[in-house]
Amino acid sequence: MATTMRPSTLETLGLGTVLDIFEKGQLPADSSDLVDRVFGEPGNRGSLVISGANGIVGAGKTMQLGSRLQPFGVPIIALDFPGVPDGIGRQYQGLVSAFGREGANRIMESIVQLSYDGTHLPSRLKDANPRFLLEAIPEILDIKKSHYDIFRAEFPDIQIRSVTSGFPMSQLGVGIAHPAFPHEINKIWEVVESKPSSITQLFWALGLIPIPVSDHWSFVLDVLFCGLTLTGLRYHRATNMPFWKMDKHIRKLLGPNPFRAHDAIGAKGANFLTWSCLFHLSKHYGDLFTPTPELDERKESGQNWYPPNHFRPLVNWTMQADGEEEFNAWILGPMFQMAGLMLHENRAHLSHINIIGELCAQFRRGILAVIRDFGPEAANDIVKKYHALHPAAAKSAWHPDAFEQMESTSWRQLYVNAEHNGNVGVITLGRESYNSDVNAELNRAIDWLKSEGIERVIVTGDFHLSTQMVGADTSDFFPALEDQSKGLEIAQTWSKTARRLNDEFKISVGFVNGKRCLGGMLELLMHCHYLVAAEGADLGMPEVTLPVVPGMEGCHWPFRKADSKHWPKLVTLLLDGNPVKAKDAIGWLVDYAGPMDASLKTVWKIATDGDHGLALRKVEVGVLKGVPTNVTGLESAGDPGMESARKTILENISSSCEAALPEALVIQATHSAGFMSSQYCRKGAIGAAFTKTTTV
Amino acid sequence: MKNGDSMFPRARIPYGTWGSSYFPAWQMSPLAEVNIGQFAGEGANRILGKRKVPKNELEYLIIGSTVPWHWKFWTAPMVSSCLGQRLPGYHIEQACATGLQAAILGANEVQGGTYDVVGVLTFDRTSDSPVGVFPERRSYERTVALSDVWDNFGFDPATGNAMITTAGIAARKYKIDRREVDELTHHRYEQYFNARKTGFLDRVLFPLEILNLQGRMLGKVDDDLGVRKVTLDSLRAMRELDTCVTGGTQTHASDGMAVMLVTTREKARELSPRPEIDIQFVAKTEVRALPSLMPEAPTLAVQKLLKRTGLKMKDIAVAKNHNPFAVNDVIFSKVMDYDWRNMNNTGCPLVWGHPQGPTLTRVLIEALEEAVALGGGYVLIFGCAAGDVGIAAILKVTEGGGQ
Repeated sequence: MATTMRPSTLETLGLGTVLDIFEKGQLPADSSDLVDRVFGEPGNRGSLVISGANGIVGAGKTMQLGSRLQPFGVPIIALDFPGVPDGIGRQYQGLVSAFGREGANRIMESIVQLSYDGTHLPSRLKDANPRFLLEAIPEILDIKKSHYDIFRAEFPDIQIRSVTSGFPMSQLGVGIAHPAFPHEINKIWEVVESKPSSITQLFWALGLIPIPVSDHWSFVLDVLFCGLTLTGLRYHRATNMPFWKMDKHIRKLLGPNPFRAHDAIGAKGANFLTWSCLFHLSKHYGDLFTPTPELDERKESGQNWYPPNHFRPLVNWTMQADGEEEFNAWILGPMFQMAGLMLHENRAHLSHINIIGELCAQFRRGILAVIRDFGPEAANDIVKKYHALHPAAAKSAWHPDAFEQMESTSWRQLYVNAEHNGNVGVITLGRESYNSDVNAELNRAIDWLKSEGIERVIVTGDFHLSTQMVGADTSDFFPALEDQSKGLEIAQTWSKTARRLNDEFKISVGFVNGKRCLGGMLELLMHCHYLVAAEGADLGMPEVTLPVVPGMEGCHWPFRKADSKHWPKLVTLLLDGNPVKAKDAIGWLVDYAGPMDASLKTVWKIATDGDHGLALRKVEVGVLKGVPTNVTGLESAGDPGMESARKTILENISSSCEAALPEALVIQATHSAGFMSSQYCRKGAIGAAFTKTTTV
Repeated sequence: MKNGDSMFPRARIPYGTWGSSYFPAWQMSPLAEVNIGQFAGEGANRILGKRKVPKNELEYLIIGSTVPWHWKFWTAPMVSSCLGQRLPGYHIEQACATGLQAAILGANEVQGGTYDVVGVLTFDRTSDSPVGVFPERRSYERTVALSDVWDNFGFDPATGNAMITTAGIAARKYKIDRREVDELTHHRYEQYFNARKTGFLDRVLFPLEILNLQGRMLGKVDDDLGVRKVTLDSLRAMRELDTCVTGGTQTHASDGMAVMLVTTREKARELSPRPEIDIQFVAKTEVRALPSLMPEAPTLAVQKLLKRTGLKMKDIAVAKNHNPFAVNDVIFSKVMDYDWRNMNNTGCPLVWGHPQGPTLTRVLIEALEEAVALGGGYVLIFGCAAGDVGIAAILKVTEGGGQ
């Protein structure tokens, strides 16, 4: 029985804890079994019907689910009205890019397009043995309900899920599987059902990310996304600031460009969905959600929010310094109030409410992480300032007590969780990139395990929200571009956290459970005594391509753990930025790479002192001699920024390896921070993102 | 008409909701590179934003310009879409009378009860004047190309004379002394630079930043570019182009926009940062002078207007005119027996230029701002326009009138 710091998000899917996975040595759900359960056994395999299959959602999901179910022989019946524009055909090139022409053709072969008139199902549908209907038709309640009636009349046992972005299950009478844009690639699905179903678990087993939410209007994602759009609209109405400029300021403040997003998704559909979501929310929760006249008009007209090309903005808008406070009140105030409402209604696991904005709506940090930074009093003050500007919003749906529990573990551990069985602990990272929030939460997780007397720890992804580990969140580096001391602080602080995995546990095991582990995340996990990876995982240090210089000890730590004969490989890894497959990095970067189940078992054996047969690669504490200062066969970078980064990385390798371990931390951090404030970093990808984000 | 009665009792100009761009001389600023209709719309939105007037308060838009611009056919709905609030409305054009006429028509819309908030937005870009190509069967060329700004300045088709010629003819008719014209011009420059120095112009003019297609800064419109201090000696030394007209004693072409609102009394109180100020339209008139005597037309218009209203020049708190030629002011002073030193206190088109459409709107805005600073009173606005036309209007500013 696991003791957990806070409930794991995996448990919300009925899939147990992450600790269970390691204890059992296998994943909690198998896609073949679940396909059998949902669609029937081979020989009696039924089909998935997607209605409204040529729409934006329907076509995207036809591709996503079609590609994942094709290996199991599950046909997709793409149902739509005759004569509608071909949305599925438009997806083909994307399939070719992802799977190659042959793979794309195989997937398309499994998709059968049928037309129906909205009142009678095509007779051929019966031959396909429909088992699961994914409804993606327009957001009109009566039409949806009659659609279900038609299906149920003919196929009484069919399981139905609606992709609705707003209507609750209680209104529709069917479960919800609300996907996020862009539909062909976004793995997130908000699901509403009385208990985790086989469909939801199948989605998980197919590599998707189902997120259970409560049965409230518009769930979580659309409250955030549509809500943020509305905050922008209200500020626009108060100040006349054009939408394109609103986007820049909102992006700077929180990350998303809500108006550009509507245009990118397709204003005609997106405007209506946003309006519909807000309209229904306003009916239940009052003026906090009332759509503005601009949205009323655009849901009819489908007009873009940005001007057409021939009217690219001409007159600039600058916000006075004293205008920022009011802007923050207009934007953050309602967002905090909406988040408070969702917390009050217990709409989802806090980590879900937090992360969904990051994964689906471009939030740089989740809304709860932002609120947490403010603290309960300041967060309430922001809402009060907003209410002074928009008094109608204060009349309902305001729950200031929602922030009172901010000191609870659920609030404090939005991204990082810890579990243990009294002997072995597991730290799970629920964010794909490492930032200051993750760093702080990781420290708290380590503290908690130590306080629980745990000396053995596994550090891994959370098997749910984080399907890969992509490295450091480079937006955290923005302050370091202008202030070297900020970069030094980040590099030192994060490195110290990473060293705790080496220094403070008897045994620590890093496990790469997803597709890749790169940059800062790899630097973190390499600090564990052992590093294990699923064999197909990519491992790499792509910093040089940005360019930036690793500052979490990547330039000396792996050298201290590897035999000198492997050092050229490490130098190459750092200088060319290309990843290696985990199975090709055994012995010099990872200790074991194998199939998932074998890897899980190996991790558990290491953590429990079982017979794993792996020798501990000790960390050399002293000075390293003979570390290569260059490698042969490296292609020219062809870019002065990357060349400069290579030079600094080599200097970093030399100077930090030639120092003893205690001193190396500051040395490598200094190199990293120095480069971050250089012109080359400013001109690179991070500098470009910094300029784009902060220059309004 | 009784003394001081309002011609549009329902209409008001809400104080402090107006604004104008600077008027850079032609070809000197980024305005030479823009669609001026788009600039006017976006600039108006920016000014209203700075004035804290929500653009969604506007119900109708009257635009005014005289130089053709791209997509002019789409008139007010196009310009207002650039303002961010697509509105019905129309375009008016009456040469240099446009800026005042548009305001009068805005008041007329409010008076009629159709709308409570009407935007008045005037603009012009003289830079890179468009060239029209007209089929002319009676012309030996069969097809005539016409550069809209310069060819029109140079030729009144009804009389065959250029604008500048009318100034010379009027100066000779009234036996104007060149020395007085130079002194008046010098004084006008001093008035303008004094208004800049005291910060008066900062209350009515808004600096605007212009973006290029990539969204980067193309330049700023933050000065009446081309206006520089002149000395009396330099004015005296200038060569006469016609009688009493030199390069210094006539205006110059420029670009710009200006915006104001005309509303009901209730809306004026709601939208104005100083609701106690009441601004009403008292009267307006137009006259036509004899052919090629355009500079005397404004004086004739004022005479007619004063007679109609029963007001005297001594009743006027602020007098301000559109004076493309300094001769205009000297004639006015001479005929009306009014000291030209007492008018155009904060600058005038003779100094800050002549973008046509918005010229009299800026004149009106400056005059109202001046009247408020003086504590209220009658405001006389007048000017000349192509076709030997003079236009004049009187407005009444009352401190506390809204209470």
